[in-house]
Amino acid sequence: MSAILALLLLLTAASGTAVVLIREPRRQVFAIGLNGLILTVLFTALQAPDVALSELAVGTAAVPLLFVVALSAVRTASPSQSADPGDHTKSPEDA
Amino acid sequence: MNARWRLVLLGLACLVLVPCAVSAIRAMPDFGADIAAYGARINAIAPAERHVANMVSAINFDIRGLDTLGEEFMLLAAITGTVVLLRGSRGEAITDRAARLPGRPVLPRAEVVVLACRIAGPITALFGTYVVLHATVTPGGGFQGGVILASATLLIYLGEGYAGWRDSVRSRWLDAMEGGGALLFVLCGLAPMLVGAAFMENVLPLGTFRDLFSGGLMLVENLGVAAAVTGGFTQLFLEFMEETREPDQSDDPKGENA
Amino acid sequence: MSWLPYAVAAWLFGIGLFGISTSRNYIHLIGCLSVCQSATYVLLLGIGYRWDAIAPIFYDHPPGTPAVDPVMQALVLTDIVVGATLTALLLVLTLQVYKRRGTLDPERLRPMRKNAGGGRVGARQEPGTEAQL
Repeated sequence: MSAILALLLLLTAASGTAVVLIREPRRQVFAIGLNGLILTVLFTALQAPDVALSELAVGTAAVPLLFVVALSAVRTASPSQSADPGDHTKSPEDA
Repeated sequence: MNARWRLVLLGLACLVLVPCAVSAIRAMPDFGADIAAYGARINAIAPAERHVANMVSAINFDIRGLDTLGEEFMLLAAITGTVVLLRGSRGEAITDRAARLPGRPVLPRAEVVVLACRIAGPITALFGTYVVLHATVTPGGGFQGGVILASATLLIYLGEGYAGWRDSVRSRWLDAMEGGGALLFVLCGLAPMLVGAAFMENVLPLGTFRDLFSGGLMLVENLGVAAAVTGGFTQLFLEFMEETREPDQSDDPKGENA
Repeated sequence: MSWLPYAVAAWLFGIGLFGISTSRNYIHLIGCLSVCQSATYVLLLGIGYRWDAIAPIFYDHPPGTPAVDPVMQALVLTDIVVGATLTALLLVLTLQVYKRRGTLDPERLRPMRKNAGGGRVGARQEPGTEAQL
């Protein structure tokens, strides 16, 4: 039991780090979903089924969806600009 | 402030924060040694006092019900703010067509996706209802069940498309569910005062331990939270999805505030 | 082992803070903020845990069985749900910024300054919106 908990805690730390270090938002969404899933398993191991249920619904379904929709809204917000919001090296585009 | 200065500031903050964190971690009680006295007391007396099996629900809806009332209104305020911001900047002129980047192909929805969503949608809704109703018996409650129910409506979008989704989920009902749920929670607090009890005192019959109808007033509060969370989250999804629709080109609503 | 959960919570908060302070995209920044948030979940549930205890649900086990702390779980449970709506609110504010200024980069949301952000040209200044951003 103790080994599983330690492993899950380390996995949580690793997936949280991945969310931060994946700089491109479209890829980061997947890391956020995976982070939610790992947190769900960790909460189950910590004897918190209520919290796990809520994290499962929020962290792996609702929040990634909101991120995806926000990204697609940003990409299509002004169709005249073919700007990529995740890419900073291109020339700045003014609204 | 450019990136280098931000890192320098963060480094300076870390110089202070890391020793503080290390000393705090060293002073913490050992992991898994013992739990706080308040939680231990609740575990010891709440099953007999409130006839509920799920201690988390007992805390959320009864013992610390007032805190949940505050959280309920935080939820309401956050969702209201989101909806006001989205609707205000969007205006009325929105088409049903999805906004696309030029040159992207339109992929038709596969039949297997429709079938899977039609099977999984009702099952998810059923599971959400189960989780809501069994709040006082098994893991679950209005918060978790509400989010599960809201994600079940998303399967309608995935299976039936945007138009079908908008036809089956009405924004007006969601507003009513969201506000009505919060109102129900407040009324659950005020109603006991009519019979001379304290605010949110559990005056209803408590029912049988481990039974579906146990916990008295908690069941009503739980339904209020479930309605508010379901309505609120579905409203969030709806308003966010609306943002991906193509604006009406005839009088460009985004042009004026760009 | 007895300090590992607290160290993980501190690490998650620290790495989230690092991400927030170095982020060049507001949507990425909100993701980093959610990592900071998950640090509080790990910390609270770590405090409330007890070895060889059951979940605080006395359905299969009789009342009186040693159980973990339900207060912490109630705190985290509502935090997750309310936190998701706040994430939505922040994302909407980000969308507003993008619609008004055409950029998601915090570096560009400032008055024109030639050498800001490694030599790139800053966003056009709009006097009315500057104070809100």
